[in-house]
Amino acid sequence: MLAVIVDQRGRPTVQLRDLRDGKILPLRHFSRHQPHSSPSLSWNGRYLAVITQKGNRRLTIIEDRLTGRIHPLPLPGGRDPVSLSLAPDARQLALQVADQGHWRVELFDLSQILEPDPIRGLKRSTPTKEGRP
Amino acid sequence: MKDGLLRDLPSWLVILLICFGLVACGRETLRPLQSINRSLLQSASSRRQPALGKRWLATLANHQGKERIELIDLRHRRPVLLPGLNRPDAQPISVSVSANGERLALVRQRDDQTELLLYHRSMGTVHRLELSAKGIPRHVILDGSGRLLAVQVSRDGRWDVDLIRLPS
Repeated sequence: MLAVIVDQRGRPTVQLRDLRDGKILPLRHFSRHQPHSSPSLSWNGRYLAVITQKGNRRLTIIEDRLTGRIHPLPLPGGRDPVSLSLAPDARQLALQVADQGHWRVELFDLSQILEPDPIRGLKRSTPTKEGRP
Repeated sequence: MKDGLLRDLPSWLVILLICFGLVACGRETLRPLQSINRSLLQSASSRRQPALGKRWLATLANHQGKERIELIDLRHRRPVLLPGLNRPDAQPISVSVSANGERLALVRQRDDQTELLLYHRSMGTVHRLELSAKGIPRHVILDGSGRLLAVQVSRDGRWDVDLIRLPS
């Protein structure tokens, strides 16, 4: 499964494709609120997180493709997300935001909002030398 | 006095207030991970392009005006060494990490070249990846297993997405 941003009548719109046959997969909630950007999928493709536009604000939206539920997730402090990354198990979300002229990355806990998307068959990472902070 | 406050309001207003309270309580809000966010804020002058693995966060971190790729172990809340990855003569553009933190895919600018690279953390090796058709890579996303790479590529003024299957 691959999530990409395509141009639909001049509007950048998220699209989900099945990599086995190239078919476009249906999404319930992403026909509006363009431009879309920064799509990110969980491990099994259950969740799709996208930055959307609502009025004059940028807003993170996560669609649960299993239940059809939508989760609009406004950033605390009235800030706008610039880019995002959803953890493979959907337990955390990382957002890039602007703060006093600097880019910041902030992490958010999703465990109270989403069921985890279980990671199956993941090889454990090989131990490496740990760096100092 | 306090008990009297609600009693004094018209019943329709009380019901409205209760309904509003229920809606407000039901709204989902993002819960920041305060401790890790504080250390992310303090450990670089700026940070962008987040990419999450299961317990890993890769970012482009700016230190004294120079950007470099950092991989943070979220369990121990500290960066790990990435020997051989960051070069003083290269500017990272995009980074992504596999779920287990073993592989990092990156795009970087070095001299006049834009390079697409795969880094194996346990071996400390960097491999250059070639695109199937000529183009300039811009953005990379590695899938959780680290075996499939999606690359946003500029070709003749238009954007393509190339998929590259990587050996296990």
